[in-house]
Amino acid sequence: MTTEIKLLAELDEGMEGVIHNIDLDSPTAQRLLDLGFVPGTPIKALRKAPMGDPVTYRIRGYEVGLRKSESSSIAVEVSDND
Amino acid sequence: MTKQKDSKGVVSAEETLQGEHRKVYLLGNPNCGKTSLFNAITGERLHVGNWPGVTVSRIEGRKDVDGKILSFVDLPGAYSLTPASPEEKIVLQNMGLAWNEQVLNVVDASNLNRNLLLTAQLLEIGIRPVIALNCFDSFSAMGGTIDLKLFSNMTGCEVFPTVGRTGDGTVVLSEYLAQGKTAALPSEERTCLSLPEEWQKAAEKVLLLNGGKSWAASEPLARYDSIVKLTGRDTSDEKLTLVRRELAEDLSKTLNREVREDNLASELAADRYRRIGCVISATSQVPEKQMTPLHEKLDDVLTHRFWGFPIFLLIMALVFWTTFSIGNIPMEWIENSFAWLAEFFKNVLPKGLLADLFVEGLINGVGSVVVFLPNILILFFWIALLEDSGYMSRAAFMVDRLMEGMGLHGRAFIPMIMGVGCNVPAVMATRILDDKFQRYLSMFLIPFVTCSARLPVLVLLSGIFFPQNPALCMFTLFAINILVMVLLGHFIHIFAEAKSPAPFMLEMPPYRFPTPKSLWNLLKDKALDFLVKAGTVVLAGTVVIWVLQAFPRQVPLSFDYKAEVAAYEQTLDGEELSSAIQELEQRKTIEELEGRYIAKIGKFFQPVMAPLGFTWRETVSLIPGFLAKETVVSVLNILYMPMSSPADSEELSPEAEQAQVTDLGDAMRKNGITPLKAFVFMLFTLLYIPCIATVGVVWRESGSAAFTLLTLLCYFMIAYGVSFATLKIGQADPTFNELGVIFLGLLALAFILSKLVRAIKGSGRPGAACSGNCSACHAVCAPSEDELN
Repeated sequence: MTTEIKLLAELDEGMEGVIHNIDLDSPTAQRLLDLGFVPGTPIKALRKAPMGDPVTYRIRGYEVGLRKSESSSIAVEVSDND
Repeated sequence: MTKQKDSKGVVSAEETLQGEHRKVYLLGNPNCGKTSLFNAITGERLHVGNWPGVTVSRIEGRKDVDGKILSFVDLPGAYSLTPASPEEKIVLQNMGLAWNEQVLNVVDASNLNRNLLLTAQLLEIGIRPVIALNCFDSFSAMGGTIDLKLFSNMTGCEVFPTVGRTGDGTVVLSEYLAQGKTAALPSEERTCLSLPEEWQKAAEKVLLLNGGKSWAASEPLARYDSIVKLTGRDTSDEKLTLVRRELAEDLSKTLNREVREDNLASELAADRYRRIGCVISATSQVPEKQMTPLHEKLDDVLTHRFWGFPIFLLIMALVFWTTFSIGNIPMEWIENSFAWLAEFFKNVLPKGLLADLFVEGLINGVGSVVVFLPNILILFFWIALLEDSGYMSRAAFMVDRLMEGMGLHGRAFIPMIMGVGCNVPAVMATRILDDKFQRYLSMFLIPFVTCSARLPVLVLLSGIFFPQNPALCMFTLFAINILVMVLLGHFIHIFAEAKSPAPFMLEMPPYRFPTPKSLWNLLKDKALDFLVKAGTVVLAGTVVIWVLQAFPRQVPLSFDYKAEVAAYEQTLDGEELSSAIQELEQRKTIEELEGRYIAKIGKFFQPVMAPLGFTWRETVSLIPGFLAKETVVSVLNILYMPMSSPADSEELSPEAEQAQVTDLGDAMRKNGITPLKAFVFMLFTLLYIPCIATVGVVWRESGSAAFTLLTLLCYFMIAYGVSFATLKIGQADPTFNELGVIFLGLLALAFILSKLVRAIKGSGRPGAACSGNCSACHAVCAPSEDELN
């Protein structure tokens, strides 16, 4: 089992990961941190909108839709099981 | 009640001063049921302000408990004390007052984790809220359990389970609040959610650096500022950077891993959630999965990649059809009853100026306000249903990509689509947007959505000047209209993003059944709100325009019509006589109209409008168009009337009406109106100004006269610019006719399509191509960053 660091925006539907870090230079960083997108938090990509953006995620027991501009500022650790 | 006490004497008056009157600040996350809890506690709302954040950002209500008056301040929903929107800034500002009074933190028990962040932030800066664990029923239904006593011990806060929708638990809660313990938390008292020692020490250093008091002696907002400074990344202050470095070293020691000084914001957020996690795991059993299988199945269907859109369109079609087609039926009743009323008073009242003012100005004015009610009520019925059920968020999720191009949030689609039916309910519907900037932007853009009232002008003139292909002409007009709207939204978005990065996040609440009670409350509020607030503005405007149209009463006429009629009566007879008289009367009508203030204003502005190729007749017809765009046609008809060979007014067969229409065309052509000029006139009519009812609601909804005036100026300038450009383009091609129109239409269409394709492909967006953690890239993508900090 290896882990790989990806952008949250790169996660396909149904994929899970653990938040690695957040780009603090992004203007929405503080808001994302406040919403619980802090390092070490498990997150799952649920479904993409018909036009591919936004995508809904489950985090800390609630569902939230993020645009690519937001989810591109979050890095996640994804473990490969194959 | 206070009055009775006062009448008893001075003593009881002093009692109230000594603190029988208690203020309670309500705060909590959006969607935590704060407002329904507020309604459950206070019963009737004493003061219904505008929607949060508009003008009055707090809503106050009162509750009497054992002779003590609790006055509740309902603050806008906030996820965090760190403001990301003007609404949340208001919450933070209010906390500066609230710590001396009482704070009620509404926490959604079914979403404890995220909701407790706000609680943690409050406790960190020394505000001890009373906690209402709201939605406790759905928490229990999910299988959640919580040890309230332990929770209360760990957080240091009194905790009350409540259910806002039913009012359960609110009695005990308000009895506790009536005891009036202030929210100030003594700095020596520490809770499991308090700021860790290292952080508090560092924050105190920041306070002292800036000449402030010690942590214990500082007020909550000063403490909050020091924490913000500590987690900031601005390195210009060397002393501050040093404090950060020391804190990072301290934390590295305690946590046994490297903590970077430029990553403190992330560390603090992680620590907050660590503390929250501690409290939750010690006190409660929260079920792993919040969403039920039914919920997932619904999501699978409703947001399906292929089915999602058709279902959405069907629902929108249903909303649209009921709002405007079904809504038309009561609208006709209202129109008829006001017409009957007008007729009734016309006959009853003695003829004169006052009767005219009462009937034509007032009754018609009130009628023109009330007539919007069916639309507004039906639309808001649907909005409430869609919102409460949870579908609104899913729909916004699906169309967000389309709205983003205009700089709008996915939720803005309802107002924008409804604008096609009528701009007035559409502007009111912008209330579903939480973000103030988003609300303003949609209010500004809605008038560019062609409403049905503008159609008569288009239908009439397209038919006259483009007889071969009126539909194409109209299509082109719409296309240019939409193009202007999209481009405008786009540019404002780009310009504004540099100033306020509105974070996009769309919470997906669980599907719920809406309660009839909440529906009823909402509809009642909307109806009253519209009638009282927007209605008065619309009424005033209607009366003013009526006065302009009706005064001066006596217009000096160029010759004596009465004498002329008398002369004709002696020389002519039969048909010749009646047609001669009719012609004379028409000439009199127009001469009178020319003498009225409205025509004088129109002629005064004529030099401004002349470059667009309008004659004074077109200019004048635009003024009553402000009242309702339909009237442009009727005024044009009146103004051109004497120039057309009069059709026999007794025959009102379709052919006769057709004849009249072409006559208007003849008259206009004789006056030098070419198809191009007609096209420009139609374009101008579409863009120049929204009707007075729309302006009224925009004013009331934005709460700002300056904003409203500014938008009006914008509309006019844009209309002028676009019309002028179109005229020049058309004139450059002397063979301008249908071909020119087709060309323009195709151009606009191609532009829109290319925009759409780009939007769907998702290319050319900064965030997408940017690898999130590369700061160099971000500097390029978001050059405005520095201005922010």
